[in-house]
Amino acid sequence: MVVDPVCGMEVDESTPYKTMYKGKVYYFCSEGCLKAFRRDPEKYLREGPKGMPG
Amino acid sequence: MSENERRPLRIGKEEQLRVVGMHCATCSTTVAKALRGVKGVEEAEVNLASGTAKVVVSGARLRDLVEAVRRAGYDVVTERLRLRISMNPEDSRRVTELLEGLDGVVKASVNPGTGEAVIEVNPYSTSAEAIVEALRGHGFRAQVISKAAPASAGELRGYLRALAVAWSFGLLTLYLQYTSRPLLAMVASAPVVFYAGLRYHLGAYRAFRNRTTNMDTLVSTATLVAWLYSAYSLAVHGPVFFDAASLLISFLLIGKTIEAYIKERLSGEVVRLLPSRARVIRDGSEVEVSADEVKVGDLLVVRSGESIAADGVVDEGKGEVDESIVTGEPMPVTKSKGDPVVGGSRLVSGFLKVYVTRSGERTYMAQLMTAVRDAEAARLRAQDLVDRVAAVFTPTIIAIAVVTFLAWHFALGFPTPKAVLFAVAVLASACPCALGLATPMAVLVSVHRLAKRGVIVKDGEALERVKDVDVFVFDKTGTLTEGRPRVKDYVELQPGVMELAASLESLSSHPVAKAIVDRFGARLRGSVKDFNEFPGDGVAGTVGDRQVIVGRPEFVAQNCEGQAKGDVAVCVDGRVAGWLSLEDPVRPEALELVAKLKSMGRRVIIATGDSGPSAEAVAAALGVEVRKGLSPDDKAELVRSLRQEGHRVAFVGDGVNDAVAEKEADVGIALAGGTDIAKYAGDVVVMNLKGIELLLRESRIATRKVKENLAWAFGYNSVLVPVAAGLLYPAVYLSPQYAALAMSMSSVIVSLWSTVPL
Repeated sequence: MVVDPVCGMEVDESTPYKTMYKGKVYYFCSEGCLKAFRRDPEKYLREGPKGMPG
Repeated sequence: MSENERRPLRIGKEEQLRVVGMHCATCSTTVAKALRGVKGVEEAEVNLASGTAKVVVSGARLRDLVEAVRRAGYDVVTERLRLRISMNPEDSRRVTELLEGLDGVVKASVNPGTGEAVIEVNPYSTSAEAIVEALRGHGFRAQVISKAAPASAGELRGYLRALAVAWSFGLLTLYLQYTSRPLLAMVASAPVVFYAGLRYHLGAYRAFRNRTTNMDTLVSTATLVAWLYSAYSLAVHGPVFFDAASLLISFLLIGKTIEAYIKERLSGEVVRLLPSRARVIRDGSEVEVSADEVKVGDLLVVRSGESIAADGVVDEGKGEVDESIVTGEPMPVTKSKGDPVVGGSRLVSGFLKVYVTRSGERTYMAQLMTAVRDAEAARLRAQDLVDRVAAVFTPTIIAIAVVTFLAWHFALGFPTPKAVLFAVAVLASACPCALGLATPMAVLVSVHRLAKRGVIVKDGEALERVKDVDVFVFDKTGTLTEGRPRVKDYVELQPGVMELAASLESLSSHPVAKAIVDRFGARLRGSVKDFNEFPGDGVAGTVGDRQVIVGRPEFVAQNCEGQAKGDVAVCVDGRVAGWLSLEDPVRPEALELVAKLKSMGRRVIIATGDSGPSAEAVAAALGVEVRKGLSPDDKAELVRSLRQEGHRVAFVGDGVNDAVAEKEADVGIALAGGTDIAKYAGDVVVMNLKGIELLLRESRIATRKVKENLAWAFGYNSVLVPVAAGLLYPAVYLSPQYAALAMSMSSVIVSLWSTVPL
């Protein structure tokens, strides 16, 4: 299990919601989290999970 | 606790019923009112032309709907199924409950002794197969014993029989009356008025019981007044007009019969494409079976000139197949082993053995018929006006008739018989029927005409909306372009980069991956490890000992150093090592369509997920606006914002990832690659871009027809009623029978006019 960097939820690596940033793969619980991350990956990596994006 | 609460929720969303016995606008209002009165019904729309009712319910039982319609004096077409169910007698109660809980089941009764169940179902929402399947899901094995055909046809036959009686006795009445044998004339006219005209009297009685009035009220009152007054007049040796009463009925029946013929011909059209018999190979020999017995896995034998009974794949043989029902293209297509064929298409020449892959309700034709039926039940805006008029129509006409009688008799001093004739003529000349038929007939005809050319209208109202669309938003890949991109040119910063990219991409099924593999080969495919695909972005993995990322330039840029360009960039060991640009050929018909839309003053926008230069190339080739790099949600957002600006928007997409945007648009148009209509989200499913042009044209035709039909109907009534009332007397005088003829022709004209293409 890995942690969704946006909402902090544990997700399975088989999730279709994933992306690569600076060579590292990140997994998400939903499309919403994935989109939020894509918009500003640095924010989440710097500040940690913020909960589900509204 | 009421029965409704105890029962499980019967119908979740929408139920389509076929209603029998409606023949005028007020009938449909009555049925709709009855349905809306059922607890749990949210919405009920009744379509006169197709004889269907579309009911949106939450928690109402189908049985209550059917009973409500029957209480209102009409009938619902149901099918009676007999099943043999293997069960213990003590299970019968449970099975009954189970059956009555299924979608589309009106009533079920199970004989515990024989294990036989008689089930009344709505054939438009369920089937014997579905019920057997559902029972199996609950552990009961069931077998269909017999299946009676739905009793929906026969309307035409009924009219023909009445017509024959009306005319033979009507002419006899005429002869007897003019040879001064009024008593015999009365006897001869009785079968016309009371047998051939029975449907009108029954309809009037039904309306009376429901405390409403309809066209039957007018006809029944007119004939009974004429006949009874003549009978009274006969007794006191006054003038009689039995001829008027019987000819009125006879002329009305002519109109009704023609109308029934047109309706029957239309609704049979699509069904007739499917053959009723099929030859299949069973146990090594060829046997002929009924087409609905064909099952998945059967081998169909099709000879030249025959229609194919189900969807499947050619297993053996070769032939030219006319697929115009699916594609709208008249040119036959050569089919040989492995090619898919669609049920309802016709083998023009050759010989085929077809392995059946879809049968029964899953076939293209069955889905098409469902879609067409749904669309037929559409309610256009014009219908609101009609409903308002129909509700006050009959009372108004009766009032005019009474005033007419009073005016001629008391104000102008005409003798009673003459004044009665004027009043009867008023009743006979007015008819809300044409009004009621105007909208649905036009929609019906257009939906059918489109279906035959491969344009499936799933939502009939979309037909009306599409003509007002001023912005067309198109998905690019697969819609405007062929969806098979090719590599146009490429830049390698290190030699051999593209081969690495191709090897990595060989594990992806994306069309872009295919383009790269086609161009550069995948020699190192075997050495790919840690393959990871990021949908919409790209792929990453290890090829040999190199870390490779291939994808959208933005995606590559956030993982690599260096400037990523092109439509697709390649990163090797953390540095941008090359890029390539793609081209996806624009469909030839896209050019034509876009030019046409622009010439009609419509705005065209391409909305695409691609972010590279190829999107602009397509937009430039077509001369339209482009919005790049959009996710499916972004596309929906684009549609939303356009609508907020006050535009009417159509979204045209390939129907799978564009479903959200299609839903959001005023009209969602799905470009279907396959034959699974149900899979596509749009209001309209087209087989190719040409279909959109057809749709636009048909939309204009249908809306114009509705207006013309309404003009006819209103015009007819507003001219005929004053004339019948004697406004132009004595210059022009309309006797009741000619008033009836003229009136019945108004419905016929509306029906016929709807079927004329231009």
